[in-house]
Amino acid sequence: MVLLQRPHILLLLIGTHQFLQCWIAFGSVNEEGQKQEEFSEELLLKTLPDHKLLAHFHFQSSAPPSTSNGCHHHLFPKAISQLVQKFRIKEMELSFTQGRWNYESWGGFDPKSSSNAKPAGVELWAVFDVPQHHIDASWKNLTHTLSGLFCASINFLESTATYSTPEWSFPPASGNVRYGTLPCEAVCTENLSPWLKLLPCRDKAGIALLLDRPSLYRGFYHSQQLHLTSTGSSSEGIDSGIILEQTLTVVLQPNSEMAIEVHASEKHIQPSWSLSSIFGKQVSGRCVLAKSSSVYLLLDRGLSAANGLTSENFWSNPSFELSANPDRIFLEESSSHSKSLSILYMFQVEKYCESEPFDIGLMWKVPLAWFCQQTPLHASSANSKDGSCELRVDVFQVVPWYVKVYFHSLRVFVDQQPRAVSDIIEKIHVSPSKDKCLLGFLRIDEYPPDANQGFDIPSAIISFPNFHASMVFLEDDSLNKSPLLSKFQEKCPVMPYTEVLLVPLTTPDFSMPYNVITITCTVFALYFGSLLNVLQRRVAEEERFLKAKAAKKTGRLPLLLSKLSAKLRGRRLEPLHSPPSSSSFINSKLVLKVILVAGLAVGWQYFFS
Amino acid sequence: MACNTRNKYPAQVFNNENHRLNLYGDNVEVDYRGYEVTVENFLRVLTGRHETAVPRSKRLLSDEGSHILLYMTGHGGDEFLKFQDSEELQSHDLADAVKQMKEKHRFKELLIMVDTCQAATLFNQLQSPGVLAIGSSMKGENSYSHHLDSDVGVSVVDRFTYYTLAFFERLNIYDNASLSSLFSSYNPSLLMSTAYYRKDLYKRRLEEVPVTNFFGSVMETIHTDAAYKALSRRNSGRFEDEMSLDQSVHHIERRMLIKVNDGYEIHDINPEGEEGASKCPWSTFRNKFQKAENVDSLVNYGLVAMIPLLVISTWLVQ
Repeated sequence: MVLLQRPHILLLLIGTHQFLQCWIAFGSVNEEGQKQEEFSEELLLKTLPDHKLLAHFHFQSSAPPSTSNGCHHHLFPKAISQLVQKFRIKEMELSFTQGRWNYESWGGFDPKSSSNAKPAGVELWAVFDVPQHHIDASWKNLTHTLSGLFCASINFLESTATYSTPEWSFPPASGNVRYGTLPCEAVCTENLSPWLKLLPCRDKAGIALLLDRPSLYRGFYHSQQLHLTSTGSSSEGIDSGIILEQTLTVVLQPNSEMAIEVHASEKHIQPSWSLSSIFGKQVSGRCVLAKSSSVYLLLDRGLSAANGLTSENFWSNPSFELSANPDRIFLEESSSHSKSLSILYMFQVEKYCESEPFDIGLMWKVPLAWFCQQTPLHASSANSKDGSCELRVDVFQVVPWYVKVYFHSLRVFVDQQPRAVSDIIEKIHVSPSKDKCLLGFLRIDEYPPDANQGFDIPSAIISFPNFHASMVFLEDDSLNKSPLLSKFQEKCPVMPYTEVLLVPLTTPDFSMPYNVITITCTVFALYFGSLLNVLQRRVAEEERFLKAKAAKKTGRLPLLLSKLSAKLRGRRLEPLHSPPSSSSFINSKLVLKVILVAGLAVGWQYFFS
Repeated sequence: MACNTRNKYPAQVFNNENHRLNLYGDNVEVDYRGYEVTVENFLRVLTGRHETAVPRSKRLLSDEGSHILLYMTGHGGDEFLKFQDSEELQSHDLADAVKQMKEKHRFKELLIMVDTCQAATLFNQLQSPGVLAIGSSMKGENSYSHHLDSDVGVSVVDRFTYYTLAFFERLNIYDNASLSSLFSSYNPSLLMSTAYYRKDLYKRRLEEVPVTNFFGSVMETIHTDAAYKALSRRNSGRFEDEMSLDQSVHHIERRMLIKVNDGYEIHDINPEGEEGASKCPWSTFRNKFQKAENVDSLVNYGLVAMIPLLVISTWLVQ
């Protein structure tokens, strides 16, 4: 009663009730959507032993299972989530590489090299979550979609002659993986632009601002990679969470002319570098959509040992100077077999903005030389009794079907000494291509336009399944784990690649089709032409006909008859024996007359003037 | 190709010796490159006959209202254009593809520009309406490059392309240049060949067709913080017509665009002076009369004008 009499109290109660409902609903949604989309960007810089600079950009974007979000993304690229859902991809990696990773100078047994040293060209492998008989169709559609997305000719991987199904020799080994590679594919700005468009801030803000295209493509090695992992299986529902890692690894030569002040004699030997001298740009702040944005500088074990840095005095730098102070310093967890540690300096980009851009530089004060860990692998065993050690190596090689391989001539060398094949090789699996064994040679239209250059045999992958490369850093703040550091800490398989081999095969004479067509057509024309002439044409037929007609019509009656018939037909027929030369005869007579008269006139004038 | 190891300036393609402009840019996307550039793929793109798996970015998604610019350059000869040094595109194949495009309503207007030797022969066999074609040289003539860049080591631009670009660089945003001015800007002595164009299949007069029909542009957008006043003009007239009208009415404040230090400001004070309707009814009537494009609206105007006459006459009769 009181409520009815005081309508404003009633309204107030209704209003608070509504507000509480909304708040509860919102809260429950918030609780469900606790896992939000996240994006983080990182850059790792490392000076290599041959004084080149390695820059490794790492962008990670994760999308939670979409039952909480629907299909709406605000950070995650929709093109990728559509790709994963349409083709039911469990894991996929696509890399575009130009250049060769120099294992001897740059290392091969650290987590960065094992995961980022890729063969030249395009490499694609994918694991699908579909039944076995659908995988090939999914692979074909995937290659076409990726070729449209990344402006590359990945669609050439659709034919069964170009991709393979590794079973045990390729680390993510399962029956559902498909692997394909294009060794001679060019990589340029048109492949980087769509790759950058998948990032929330593109290349307009944050660390990706540094990517100056001419500087990138002037390097010794650059590799852009896209690695997708889909968390959750199809049994949970159609949509599962996706983690997208985009990495760009570049090896650049610091410009020695633009070296920051250093001893004049060492300028050429050991160039100092800074971000602005290498890329020509500075980081003017972080991408506001990024959860974390940091730059790391790594001193690997060899360098810190040469510097004399141990776990006690890691703060001091006797041989180089940094232009900015690091925010945090991480030490590697000490391992038993080496005294030196890797040291990681971390710089937070959040503190910098457009007026105060971030530019890290390293200036050498003292010349230093150091070495990285020998590659591809240096293994020694101290535990076995008879001094021998066992090392398992898997080799996976794809050879195009038109190159004949003589497997019986395989030879194995251990420590430069030849060994018997049966001692070393435990198992070998050769799977020939399914649909090309009948022909055995390439048809003329299957040759590429520059066939005389040669054909590429893709790199082999050598994997050491019993070894994993990882680098664990001591971190006291385990909540803010950066994706880059957690990737270092994962055990990733060691997988060096061999080089691409260019094989000059014999090529046919490409002018032969034209020659064959011309000769064949000439022969046909001559044969059938002469045949038709002989069979159909009668020579001097017309003259005989005319003569016969003239011979027939000499009498008077036929002449009258022909005249009558001519009249009936409307005087179309002329008299047959009218001389054809009459017109010319008349003409010549006329001309003669004219000449005669003219001559007389001239003579008259001449004689009587 | 720009990242080929033989290029001294990786990821950069220049069209002039002064290296002022990097054509490759930062956001270039190329759909067909390398071994995919074949005559078969080209004709598939034109006619739209792709396999089902081919993605949309590699298709020409045009319809019956599209204006298409097709620019071809390279080596060519009498009725052919060379592809990849191993095959040729023939003029009758191109004509056939264009005919298929017309039958499938894939374009409204098509402009073909060819810059090769004996370029005009490539469109000899065209018969489809709505096609305009220009070639850099006639039968028996060669097309030449413009200049050699001794730094990069190759010739960077051909003459026909160079003078086409020079024409466009002379224009500013308000020039309503027509295609006939483009086609007549080619000087045979500078080109060292005769630029021949074919307009018998194209129904409109070239003086009326603006170049923006086929050539678009990417303009640099400049963000200004100040808000601009919304213009409430009706879109019945073109910009120059309004300018001329405004100039004829001197005491109405004009609408002007002033460029101030790379920024733009728009002053719009008097919305009433849009068409000068209050002061010059005759000129507006004349303009409307001229702008009436079809006879129907004219008839409508006539009928409407007759009603008051009818009313007056009946009143007079009564």
